[in-house]
Amino acid sequence: MAGSATKTVYDIFQSMEYGPAAVSSTVTAQAWLDHHSRSLGLFIDGKFVRPADRQSRSLTDSKGANVCSTVCAVEDDVSLCASSAVNGYKAWSGMTCYSRAKVLLRLVSSLGQHTKCVLELCELCEASCSPSTLVRLLQYYSSWAQLRDTLITNWTPLGVVAVVVSDDCSLYSLILKVLPALAMGNSVIVVPGRSTAAPALLLAQLFVGAGLPAGALNVLTGSDIMLGATVAQDPRISYITYCGNKQDGVKLCKATAGMGVPISVSPCIGATCSFIIFESADIDSAVDGVIEAAFKKKKEVHWVLCVQESALDSVVARLSLRMSGMKCVGLSSEADRVLVDAAVQEAQQQGAKLVQSCTAAPSGALYPPTVLCGAAPSSSFVVNPCPGPLLPLMTFRSNTEAVTLGNHSPHGLAASIWTEDLTLALETAKSLSVGSVWVNSHSVSDPCLPVSGHKDSGTCTDGGQEGLYQFLRPSCCSCPLPRSSPVSLDYTKFGTAASPAIIVPDESASSPKSYLQFVGGKACKAESGCSVAVQPPGGGSVLAYCPDGGRKDVRNAVEAASKVQPGWMKKSPSARAQSLYSLAKNLESKKKDMAASLSIQGTLSAEEAENEVDISSARLSDWAAYCDKLQGGSLPMPQSGSALSIPEALGVVGLVLPDKNPLLSMVTLLGAAIATGNAVIMVPSQKNPLAALAFIQVLQASDLPAGLVNIISGSRDQLTVALANHSVLKAIWYWGSAEGCQYLQYSCTCPLKTLRLFCQTDDGQRVNLYTAISVNKKKKKCNVNANLRAHVVPGLFVIGANALSDVTSVTRSFRVV
Amino acid sequence: MSARNPGTKLDLERISKVKVNTQAVLKRAQQIQGQKLLKKQWQAAWLLKAVTCIDLTTLAGDDTPSNVHRLCLKAIQPVRIDLLRKMDMHDKGVTTAAVCVYPSRVADAVASLKAANSSLPVASVATGFPAGQTPLETRLQEVRMAVADGATEIDIVINRTLALTGQWEAMYDEIRQFREACGDAHMKTILAIGELGTFTNVYKASMVAMMAGSDFIKTSTGKEAVNATYPVAIVMVRAIRDYYLCTGQKVGFKPAGGIRTAQESLVWLCLIKEELGNDWLCPHLFRLGASSLLADIERQIYHHVTGQYAAYHELPMA
Repeated sequence: MAGSATKTVYDIFQSMEYGPAAVSSTVTAQAWLDHHSRSLGLFIDGKFVRPADRQSRSLTDSKGANVCSTVCAVEDDVSLCASSAVNGYKAWSGMTCYSRAKVLLRLVSSLGQHTKCVLELCELCEASCSPSTLVRLLQYYSSWAQLRDTLITNWTPLGVVAVVVSDDCSLYSLILKVLPALAMGNSVIVVPGRSTAAPALLLAQLFVGAGLPAGALNVLTGSDIMLGATVAQDPRISYITYCGNKQDGVKLCKATAGMGVPISVSPCIGATCSFIIFESADIDSAVDGVIEAAFKKKKEVHWVLCVQESALDSVVARLSLRMSGMKCVGLSSEADRVLVDAAVQEAQQQGAKLVQSCTAAPSGALYPPTVLCGAAPSSSFVVNPCPGPLLPLMTFRSNTEAVTLGNHSPHGLAASIWTEDLTLALETAKSLSVGSVWVNSHSVSDPCLPVSGHKDSGTCTDGGQEGLYQFLRPSCCSCPLPRSSPVSLDYTKFGTAASPAIIVPDESASSPKSYLQFVGGKACKAESGCSVAVQPPGGGSVLAYCPDGGRKDVRNAVEAASKVQPGWMKKSPSARAQSLYSLAKNLESKKKDMAASLSIQGTLSAEEAENEVDISSARLSDWAAYCDKLQGGSLPMPQSGSALSIPEALGVVGLVLPDKNPLLSMVTLLGAAIATGNAVIMVPSQKNPLAALAFIQVLQASDLPAGLVNIISGSRDQLTVALANHSVLKAIWYWGSAEGCQYLQYSCTCPLKTLRLFCQTDDGQRVNLYTAISVNKKKKKCNVNANLRAHVVPGLFVIGANALSDVTSVTRSFRVV
Repeated sequence: MSARNPGTKLDLERISKVKVNTQAVLKRAQQIQGQKLLKKQWQAAWLLKAVTCIDLTTLAGDDTPSNVHRLCLKAIQPVRIDLLRKMDMHDKGVTTAAVCVYPSRVADAVASLKAANSSLPVASVATGFPAGQTPLETRLQEVRMAVADGATEIDIVINRTLALTGQWEAMYDEIRQFREACGDAHMKTILAIGELGTFTNVYKASMVAMMAGSDFIKTSTGKEAVNATYPVAIVMVRAIRDYYLCTGQKVGFKPAGGIRTAQESLVWLCLIKEELGNDWLCPHLFRLGASSLLADIERQIYHHVTGQYAAYHELPMA
């Protein structure tokens, strides 16, 4: 602000300008950094460790001044850290829920004493997270720590959890992963990004001061996201959870594929989100919202403004008035300026009109907030948004078109909708396939809100009770994936081995039966026309022939499934329950046939086979009963306004079924998927496919919509590849080989698919969840829960309490909700 | 004053479409209150601007010519001349915007100002202030008499009965008649927002008042339970912006009642700057109705100039 000191009172009296922004003091944070000689070590086993001969990474503030440097950890450090975390886990998980909760609460008071230091350090590192937000997070999760054994029975912590974030991830998102992991009794290794490194180290130090056992929280800093992969390699790590931008998430997924460690991804940075203004909105407030949301210096999401055609003029008029006089926003580099200029130029060439607070200086890393009116979904600055304070504006004609526009995106993180019409708000909120919908507000976040992005925006739920389950496993089952080292796998060749050609003999009384597969509600042959022979274990005479399905069969099935799935999801829960009950009844009536198909392969006695059919019908009835018991509800928000959580189906789900208990395992998974509104493509066990194929007659006799359930038999690997390469599929549940798991982890990243992987070995020794179930009833319950949680994607929307004053009669009942 | 708002026809369709989201307005108000960007000379300049926007007011049962006289002289020299001189502002015409009194005291105020060779306008409240519960004929007469006595600005109160029962046409007609009775005197319409119930009603009443030709819309009389609050002000200035966007006419805004501290006056200026822009930051389009506010502002200016905190007796009283 050169020359500001010379401005006289009279100058300012006439111009009525604001003064220069107060330069906030960073004395306390600087003192903390100086105490550490401006070079921060790793935080292992409750103390700072500064190993010699490591590279370091320096962090500079926005003006280019050195803030501090951090160590780049190497494999030895990771190993040291993992053993510390194992010890930390022993100590931490051995404590009572009460004592764990107390530690979290003690950190609240410790934060109170160091508010200034935390605040200033976050500011220095641009990690924007206020101490009050941290306090809210701690209080929320301390109560979960306290109530874990009361409210979440029969679940245990995973062990050592690694929380990895990208350089641009906010401290809030990082802590939103760390605290639930700790609250559930895990120990945590944090791999922070550039901006979160110093604050994470400070918090770890404060945590230990508050009584957290040494090793329960460790911080490893590095130079890039690949440190996360190095950490994942350590066999003592049970789970990796990632938060940040999509690219780094994909890198991490690919790098950890085949290590036998489950990974989940929350790409909360860089998603495109719609900001939808209906004509029935309080336009002034909506415009305020736009200005507040869209032109931040550090933008975490790319907003696209969608305005109803009839309200366009008044929105644009208000935007131009309100934006005039807004200050320019700093870009992170000169390179960004080039991108911004290119985008604006392209927009102008397409005839877009600009609404700007002032004209941009010809160069420099400052740019005025700019709205690009007249953008279209095909504009490249909409498809590939660039950094900087640019906001594309599109128009829509009707309410349904608004939803179409909002949903037509690879992302599904969040949307903000503005209307005073209650019915419209609710309908739109339900139809948008995004994780959070804010009604007459935007960017509301709180740890009580479960957030799980759709499509490319995530494979796990963070926040709320649902967000805790990623850090827990049912007490009865062990880890589904054995630790392994990735094998060198040619991902382009996987599943391409041709199945041996066979000649199906002519139909005759003595020849083995030929089964059909089930696609789009029709029993049919494979598109290829080929079949494979089913033989008893150990080889021998052919028992039956089944279709050799492939890519095209999967394509047809997905097409049929995606057509019926939305209607099935919208059906009333009781209607879904009735269909499932009738399916269970049909199964019972076909008991003889089904038992025969189970025992034909000789692994089960006739009695055992009938028993499995009985349990299977009971299992389907369980799921039928669950249909109308799965519910969302209102959430306790600290701010004014209400929050609702609504469970939603994933969409079309691929199931590669286990070898063991082929019928029971199939109906368990099938029931879970369709009870919650999904459609399924099932690949029966390659070894024991007959039960699933015999089940087709049960499906045909049921009133399930054609295409909701599809069964395609054939080579498991080949079909796995076909499922992995279909973008419409939202999730894959896989029982199969270690290579298959590795293949899926590697390839299901673009777009992201939610994976549940179970590695079964050929000798069947690998623990199969479903053998346990048939024996022990209690365990079954918990397993049902496991499936349930995995399958429900809770959507969320927030409603400003007074948003809907025009519909008074409904409003009252709504507020109670 | 610049061109006056001639008013428009009553557009009931527009009135019926008004939508205000309470939560969003409250949030915006909090946001504006959270801004702290004014220090040193910026603060001093903004405070002086606030001074020039004050309608220095006395509206008490015990008003007599003597205290009205004191008020007028304070209005002419609101800040100690030596303090102004230190900031080189002594010759920039820093006076309050007007003095505001009851109709019976208008003549006294006019006389005092004339004797002091000042052209400061005298504003008078009228139309059955503060309740407005007197017959229309006497209310009109009140306006005419105040104007005849020399008031050049009239603060009228709306008929809350009409607003609360949604009789916008009747309210429009009444205000039209007041405007006619005002003649050349500028008309500020008091909405008494504390008694209007909802933000939506405040917005609608603001719109009707502007369509009927008000030069200013004013929050409250200072005599209701709820006076000028920031959220209500946001609703009113948005109505002003809306009216400006569709007619091109700039209508002024006057918060009144309960504004006592210098800090508050800065928030008010900030709110106007943010919502309406710099054009509105002048006495033609923005007024602060206040009595004790001036003393606090003068103390802050004293502090800016001298670095000391003044005792009240060090600054001349009104």
